[in-house]
Amino acid sequence: MAVLTDIFKSTLLPPTRRSERWKYSPISKLLNTSLSTDSEAINSGFSKEVDPNPVQGLEAYRLVLRNGKFDASLSDLPVAQGVVCMPMSEVEDGESPEFQNTYSQKEWVGELNESYHQDGMFLKIARNIKLDRPIVIHHLTDGIDVASFPRHFVRVEEGGEVDVVIWCSSTKKSSGMYNGLLEASIAPNASFMLEKVCNEDGEIYHFSHENIIQERDSRFMMHTFTVKGHWVRNELEIVSRGKGTDSIFNGAYLPTENEHVDNHTTMDHTSSDGTSSELYRGIMYGSSTGVFNGKVFVRPDAQRTNAFQQNTNIVADRGASINTKPELEIYADDVKCAHGCTVGQFDLDALFYLKSRGIQEKAAKALLVEAFLADVISSVPSTELRKEIMKIYQERHGW
Amino acid sequence: MLKIKNLHAKVGDNEILKGLNLDVKPGEIHAIMGPNGSGKSTLASVLAGREAYEVTDGVVDLDGTDLLELEASDRAREGVFLAFQYPIEIPGVSNLNFMKAAVNAKRDHNGQPPIKAKDFLAKVKECSSLVELDGRLRDRSVNEGFSGGEKKRNEIFQMAILEPKLCILDETDSGLDIDALRVVSKGVNAMRSPDRAFIVITHYQRLLDHIIPDFVHVLSNGKIVKSGGKELALELEAKGYDWIKEEQNA
Repeated sequence: MAVLTDIFKSTLLPPTRRSERWKYSPISKLLNTSLSTDSEAINSGFSKEVDPNPVQGLEAYRLVLRNGKFDASLSDLPVAQGVVCMPMSEVEDGESPEFQNTYSQKEWVGELNESYHQDGMFLKIARNIKLDRPIVIHHLTDGIDVASFPRHFVRVEEGGEVDVVIWCSSTKKSSGMYNGLLEASIAPNASFMLEKVCNEDGEIYHFSHENIIQERDSRFMMHTFTVKGHWVRNELEIVSRGKGTDSIFNGAYLPTENEHVDNHTTMDHTSSDGTSSELYRGIMYGSSTGVFNGKVFVRPDAQRTNAFQQNTNIVADRGASINTKPELEIYADDVKCAHGCTVGQFDLDALFYLKSRGIQEKAAKALLVEAFLADVISSVPSTELRKEIMKIYQERHGW
Repeated sequence: MLKIKNLHAKVGDNEILKGLNLDVKPGEIHAIMGPNGSGKSTLASVLAGREAYEVTDGVVDLDGTDLLELEASDRAREGVFLAFQYPIEIPGVSNLNFMKAAVNAKRDHNGQPPIKAKDFLAKVKECSSLVELDGRLRDRSVNEGFSGGEKKRNEIFQMAILEPKLCILDETDSGLDIDALRVVSKGVNAMRSPDRAFIVITHYQRLLDHIIPDFVHVLSNGKIVKSGGKELALELEAKGYDWIKEEQNA
């Protein structure tokens, strides 16, 4: 039987445990599978198991992909002055985006996305245009041994503003690989907000890579929620290329059973007067495993950078584990950088205090979990999205 | 109301309560005094159901219910309330949400529907004015950034909201200045009623100037070694505990 590397050829070799970046997230199992892209993705229709509109009540534009292919009938793209939003497959030859990131040259996962990429969103927001509603990109994986390679490109021009939600789901019997990439470049004084939610049933190896390039005084805010997923690797790379950028990126993960969640982030301050704030929180249940790695670079020219990073973990059950590593490299001398990283358990004193007032164990834990997640989730711009995520977490963990 | 018989409890291998007996009737206030390490706070924790303590022998009966069989939350629903010596800070959980969850937990236990928002707020207003807890503290995260006195007032506020039948005050006077002591005592006295009992654990007589006990017990080496009326507290204040120990050894 042909294995993955026979089907999807590459120059770069797949990562092994010898590579530090992949040490705690081995993919050998995936490499032994035989996957293929789904050429009939659209003709077979959307699944009945999953609602094409993942966040009920959220007023949003929608771009729906099934197994990497664009589904026009379920999508509702914005048509507005100064907004170009279309599936990548419909972009005219002369207009195709110039990706600046070098992920495809650095990582096997990136090279596969480059070589086999399918459809995705092409979004351009013109100068001073603020899109009135968020755009939800909903990617569904539906099928056995399916590989999907979506890729998205976003450009927000000066003073523009847009909010994008990437929501990934899959049906219960699905298996395979999701390999998605998003690149965004944010012009001076523009804002880009991104919320990424992985809520996948089945057995999907989920790789997603976001590459953000920030110009002078631009603002970027991202939230990464791993709500459910068999094996999930979230990679985020932010490069601050101009003075005075502001980057906020938060994440939450609550894996259970044998799930694996890996968050790798890189914040690269190359220019002065930037601020960045990173907060990732996780609760490890069951026999789940987790990885957090947060790199912050402060280059020699990035004077007066103010960078904050925190990763807080609760290991809730005996069989669960997390490997976490903050990495700061600071080459400028007038900077303020703070980082903290903790792994602990539920605060038993707090739990007893709540219980001593008549609140039962489960409800008491729910109160503590909500409090724990509040700092991560409260900055999500849309209330509906916030509620939906909390609802799924609650249903999953039976609070 | 509360009958404790021959209670033995330990933490790890360390036996702390060694056959404690106590009988509390509705409407009574019992003060428990005693030297450091005599088991006062252990008694409070054991009654409230803290899991670190292991009960090795004895019976604790609250109006016919075997308390020792119940989890901490169920004891609270049965009407036990512990005012903590060191109230816990819980960042991110609002004081009011906490109280609402607690009130509704108890109502659920009694087969009542959740409390109406209007009724809850009226109750909060009434109880917070009782202990002079201002709105700012009421609405914040549980005990987060509260001073020692504010934390203790918050305990009494919670007690007033939950209307327990058995109130256990674990060194509520520790860390309080005179004014806070007066406010806390006022709150407790306002809650005295014929069907509610109090166990007041304290080191010092001064709290008992404000909360007048019906009985004073001296706990020493895990047992109640002497009981008397409120005048016993004054005697202890004047003479210390040594004479009781001597009496025991004699």
